[in-house]
Amino acid sequence: MAEDRESKIDDALVRRMAEGDEEALRELIVRHEDRVYGTVARMIGGAGPDAEDLAQQIFLRIWKAAPKYRAEAKFTTWLMTVTRNLVFTFCEARARRMEVSEEIVDEETEETIQRKESVAGRTPREDLSGKELIEAVERACAQLPMKQRLVVHLREHEDMDFSEIGEILGISELGAKSLMFRARENLKIKLSAFLTEPS
Amino acid sequence: MRKKRDEIGDGAEGLGPELGRLWASAPVPKAPSWFAVRTMARLRQEEDSKKSWFGMPRWVLIGTGLALLAVGWFRWESQPTIRDAEVFAALNAFVEEDRESRWWAGL
Repeated sequence: MAEDRESKIDDALVRRMAEGDEEALRELIVRHEDRVYGTVARMIGGAGPDAEDLAQQIFLRIWKAAPKYRAEAKFTTWLMTVTRNLVFTFCEARARRMEVSEEIVDEETEETIQRKESVAGRTPREDLSGKELIEAVERACAQLPMKQRLVVHLREHEDMDFSEIGEILGISELGAKSLMFRARENLKIKLSAFLTEPS
Repeated sequence: MRKKRDEIGDGAEGLGPELGRLWASAPVPKAPSWFAVRTMARLRQEEDSKKSWFGMPRWVLIGTGLALLAVGWFRWESQPTIRDAEVFAALNAFVEEDRESRWWAGL
């Protein structure tokens, strides 16, 4: 019920935006800035100027597209679809731009191995400092393929159901579940040193 | 109130309790303060940059300029060409006219 009410408020704000009401956009930004910024930061590997620039672009795109908006799906689904489009384009462009040399890759691999070795001898999570754990989780997240990363974020942080996630990614509900399964398996491997349960 | 995740198959459809806790240990960044203000400022800046002289959109002025150039170019290309022979014939006609005038005048 509360969710329906929130959705109706969003729809009303978008209708006002379509009529050129800038105050409606400001309200919409305040309502969803953490959601959008958090998703962008999670997807591109951290907060910073790039994340802010992308998040701003998302809201500007929403502003421009407002006259064409039809409330067929939930506003948050549309918002996250726009977010996905921009973030994926950004990540693809960045991947093309960055020519990662073999040395850097080797260094990273070596670092990961050293990190694993350093934690392997200890008992799991209880022994690890919070910072080390956070770094490991962020690293594991960054190493996931884009779609898997987004599925995990939307599911775990935004509490979205798979049909909605599927809609955002342009795939079926089953496809979204399958991505989640693969992400979970990947994370189990990458974070095995931190898990007490056998993977 | 946030939506509750499916109860059935939660472990199978999510990260599961332990991985989920690990995942949640890395906090998701929040939007910086003044984010809304800065975004609104950017919107106004972009809207202003679309406007140009006389409050008309820049693309209208550029389009009009290009259309005028195109019309001028076509008109230039389609104007009649004059051959040298035609120029000489016209000059000869003047000379002939001059001779006739002199004859009539008894000069």
